[in-house]
Amino acid sequence: MEFKRPDDILENCVLPFCAQTTDFAPLFVTEAYDNVEKKIKEVRLESYRGKWVILFFYASDFTFV
Amino acid sequence: MAAVAAIYDQLKFLNTEVLAISTDSVYSHKIFTEVSPSASKVTFPLLSDRTHKISKAYRVLNEKTGATFRATIIIDPEGTIVTKFVNPLEVGRNVYEILRVIQGIQYSRRTGEGVPANWVPGQPGIIRDPKYIGRI
Repeated sequence: MEFKRPDDILENCVLPFCAQTTDFAPLFVTEAYDNVEKKIKEVRLESYRGKWVILFFYASDFTFV
Repeated sequence: MAAVAAIYDQLKFLNTEVLAISTDSVYSHKIFTEVSPSASKVTFPLLSDRTHKISKAYRVLNEKTGATFRATIIIDPEGTIVTKFVNPLEVGRNVYEILRVIQGIQYSRRTGEGVPANWVPGQPGIIRDPKYIGRI
């Protein structure tokens, strides 16, 4: 898509899914390390329904958050 | 990571779970908890997004580095995103603000009141009534 004038941008701009406030939270299943049980386990976001969840994204192990 | 661990008990009391996620492997996470004094205190799971699928879906992947941004996303019990914070690359989070926001959302949903700027638990909210419009 080529934008030439500001008008073009306004007319053609379609909002993408931005995972923003009021959007549904995309479901996922992934591996996790559980430091209490000292083991690798599977975590499914869907199994947390009924609870508040904080997804705490951090850049890298061994860095500050 | 110790900063989050420090408020984890309070979050649990608010029916809130923490899922920490990075693009590191679970093997890296394991060693992290073994050698880092701050990570050793962690009792919530450390999730691996090695495929970048989760961070892409939540629009928090830093494509330049392959790591995620310092993003904090709060999801309500029905599975809807209620807020998303993205911190600067250079500055760590204020975990007390995360706690305050959860307390504020829960207070608002319980009472129907608005939660104004700089509200902290124990303070009143704002009652939504047309007669107060222009008076606060």
